[in-house]
Parts: sequence; structure tokens; C-alpha cells
Amino acid sequence: MAKAADLSTLGGQTSTRRTRVLTGILAAGVFAFLSLGLGHSGLSPKGDGSVLVAEFFSAALQPALDYEPGDFLPDSAPPFLLKVVDGLWGTLVYAICAISLSFVFGLLFGVLASESFWATRHKGWGVLRWSIRFLLTAMRSIHELLWALLLLAALGLSPAAAVVAIFIPYTGTLAKVFSEMLDESDARPSAALHQIGVAPAQVFLFARLPRALPDIAAYTFYRFECAVRSSAVLGFFGFTTIGLYLKQSFESLHYREVWTYLYGLIFVVLLLEAWSAQLRRRFVV
Amino acid sequence: MSTTSAAFRLSGVDVELGGRSVLQDLSLEIGAGEHVALVGPSGAGKTTLLRTFTGVIGPRKGCVEVGGVRLDQLKPEALRALRAKIGFVHQDHSLVPNLRVSQNVVAGRLGQRGFWSALRSMMRTKSADLQEVHQILERVGIGDKLFQRADSLSGGQQQRVALARALYQQPTCLLADEPVASVDPARARSLIRLMVELAKEDGWTLVVSLHDLELAREFFPRVLGLRHGKVAYDGPPSELCREQVQELYHLEETAFGESR
Repeated sequence: MAKAADLSTLGGQTSTRRTRVLTGILAAGVFAFLSLGLGHSGLSPKGDGSVLVAEFFSAALQPALDYEPGDFLPDSAPPFLLKVVDGLWGTLVYAICAISLSFVFGLLFGVLASESFWATRHKGWGVLRWSIRFLLTAMRSIHELLWALLLLAALGLSPAAAVVAIFIPYTGTLAKVFSEMLDESDARPSAALHQIGVAPAQVFLFARLPRALPDIAAYTFYRFECAVRSSAVLGFFGFTTIGLYLKQSFESLHYREVWTYLYGLIFVVLLLEAWSAQLRRRFVV
Repeated sequence: MSTTSAAFRLSGVDVELGGRSVLQDLSLEIGAGEHVALVGPSGAGKTTLLRTFTGVIGPRKGCVEVGGVRLDQLKPEALRALRAKIGFVHQDHSLVPNLRVSQNVVAGRLGQRGFWSALRSMMRTKSADLQEVHQILERVGIGDKLFQRADSLSGGQQQRVALARALYQQPTCLLADEPVASVDPARARSLIRLMVELAKEDGWTLVVSLHDLELAREFFPRVLGLRHGKVAYDGPPSELCREQVQELYHLEETAFGESR
């Protein structure tokens, strides 16, 4: 028998390191739970809570098709279902404005923040790249609801405030993910064009970018779905999206109306999902 | 310098990659219009040599001349212009898989176009250009694939697209790095035959690295054997005897296999 080799030189210590990291993560989770004093008692409804919950969820089975009695209705009020459609349409319009701006700027910043775009250029450009990355992090570390608060104070209840509130963090997220998709896309087609004398900017534009484009499109669709949800929630501030109507019905305790709005929102998201799945299947640049 | 008829001339070239010496004091000359097969074991430096020919890899020492011009004296634009006239076929994965065949072929001339003309040619190819691309695809036997997505083609067909892209460059030389390593033997043979025929028709210098010594013997008048970054054999395949082949490919004696 040969002498037993010293296997620790082959990277055996990684397993102890893994144990340490996993233990650390587990400890952080336990600590977080303990610090909030979480237990099963927190999940049982207090006071009238259980009645409210029962009422709310039983309304799910009979969503409203018309205004519930007690709604304040001006003469100009549209039929209820038309109001639902109007709220959903408003939600979509805000989301479409925000995501299309975010896509354009996200792609621009995504290219500028990617490593591969600057790879062949002078090292000094790294300063620009890192400042853009910093800017993008700042944009997305503040949630759209917080942006909306700031912008409401500055711009008032104008549609622009809501669109910009969604646009800022979404651009930050899209650009970061786009830059990673560009950097991770297969480098071999790019190398082949470089080999036959194609200039770096064109190699990027005609090999790296199209290679990453299906992923970029798929991710943009997913973020569009998120933007629809964000746009709905911004209605709570008074923007004319489904959230506004939802909040009003909820405050009047008209749960059956609330459920109609919720079902409408789910329907729209499902529709978008089906559409994006179909587009992804047929995607050709 | 003596003659300018050499397509590629290396004198005393040393190349290091990642701190490892890949080519060592290599000197060789390939004449314009010559057809050369590059053979040798994996890691002998075949790929590096082909990439050194076009200056994609720069030597640490020594001098590389292409068509009588020293590469180290060229400005970046001039070097790109030179590369634009040298076709290159890789082992695989050199096409943009989700672009059409026509776009992949048109990309062959991107190195010869300005930015806007390049953009136009890729986004909205002129019908005259498309005609030309189609004729080239006919020459390599896949004219009907013009508008298909590149990744819908088989490995052998994709290599024909890569060859068509090289043809579209209107090159003076074609370099091919293991072009048939991922293609089945029957198709490999017809692809090499096609390359040699095209090279004859258009008068290219042709350098092809090959795993398969039989293909080298059958199609190439000159075989360059590389081992450990040095020329181990240079001559017609007929004079390459069994001992020399064994010398070229033999594994160094270690417990179970290759030592390097």
C-alpha cells in the first residue's frame, strides 16, 4: 500500500469553512426570530379580528358585480364593473410608462456598468463604471413607496410623481441585472469577431448584446409584472390606479368590492404572464 | 527583409500564457497560397500559434510578420484591417446562436465597415448583400438555411456557416483551429475537402490544425508537427514515418499518463 497522502493540501479545509458559514447564517436567523419575540400567539387574531377575517374571506366567494349599498355615488359615477376596468387600465398605463423608461435607461446604464463593455478600453474608464454602479445601487436601495413619498412632497399628486417613483428603483435593478447578463453571456462569439478585426464597440453590439437579449427581454417582462403591482399599490397615495379604489372600498368595509378589484388584478397579471411566455418562446432577434 | 512572398513568418517567437511557456523560440515560414496542416498533441500550442499569426496573442520575444509586415509595428486600426482579411474558423460556438444565418455571415465584413454601415448591414441587410450571402451559402452547400436561426443548425452546418462568414470576408488567408473536432468523421472529411477546394479556387493561404492525422495526410501537401511549443516535424506527409508520429504524440513516461 502506498503511504496515505496528506489530503488537506487538496482543499479539504473548505468543508470546515462551509460549516462555519452555514452555522453563522442559521444563528442570524434564530437571533432575528428571538429579537422580534415571534411565536404562535402572534398569529391568533385579537378582539374583533376573527370576525373581520371571517367576513373578509367569505366575501371572496361572492365578489361584487355592482356597487354595494351605502356607497356614496355621484350622478357621474360609472357602472361598477366599468370602474374596475378603468382602475386596471390606469394601473397598466402607469406601469407601462415607468417600465418603458426604465428599460431604455436600464439598458444604457447596464451596458455602461458591465465589465465586458470596458474590457478593451483604458483602465481610467473604470472610475466612470464604478460611479455608475454606485448611482444604480443608490437608486434601487430606496423602495418605490419611499420615492413616491418624496416625490409627492415635491411634485404633488401629478402622474409624473408616480411614474418617476417607479422608474428610479426599477432602472437601478434592471441596469444591474442587465450588466450581469451581458458579462455572463458566452464570450466565444465575441472572441470570434475580435479575431477577424471587428472593433470592440461593434463586437459588443453585434455579438455580446444579441446573445444576452433573450434573457434581457424575459427579465424585463418579469419586472413589468412587478411594476403593475407597484403601480397598484401607489394608488393608496391617491394616484388613479386600482389601489385607490381598493383602498376606498376597504375603508368602507365593502369587502365584496375589494375582492372584485383583487380578482381583476390577478387576471391582468395572469394575462401578462401568458403573453410574455408566448413571446419568449418565439423570440428571435 | 528577404522575400515578401511569405504569408506568415515567425522568427524566434516565444509566447507565454498565464506564466506558462507555450511557444518556444519558434521560427517558421508559410508561403502565400500554401496549404498547411498543423498537427500535434493537445497542449502543443496549435491554437496559440494560429492566434499569434494574427496578433491576437502577442509574443514575449521574437517577431511575427504577415505578408511582409511586422505585427508589432502596426497601430491598432491597421492590425484590425489586417485581421479583417484573414478568415478564421474556430472549433465551435463561434456564431451568435440567436441571430440568423444571414446576419452571422454578414458579420464577416464588420471589420471592414464603419459603425453606421455595420449597423445597417446587420439590422437591414441590402438585397444585393443578401444575394451575395446566399451565393456564398450555396457554395458551402447550405443555401436554403439563409434565414434560419444559427442555433437551429447541426454542428456540421454551423461550421459551414462559420466558413461562409470567412468567405464573405474575401480573405487572403484562412486559418482554422480544429474546425472538425466537434463534427462526425464523414462530415469532417467533406468539410475539410470543401475548405481545400475553396482555398484553391480563391487562392488562399490555408492553415488548418487537425487532430486527425489521416485528414492531414489526405488533403495537405505540407504537415507541421508541433510538440511542446516547438516544431517537431515539417515536411510532406509522405515522409512522415511511423516513428516520427510516435515521437510526436508519445506520452512521457509517468505512472498513468501524460505529465504535461
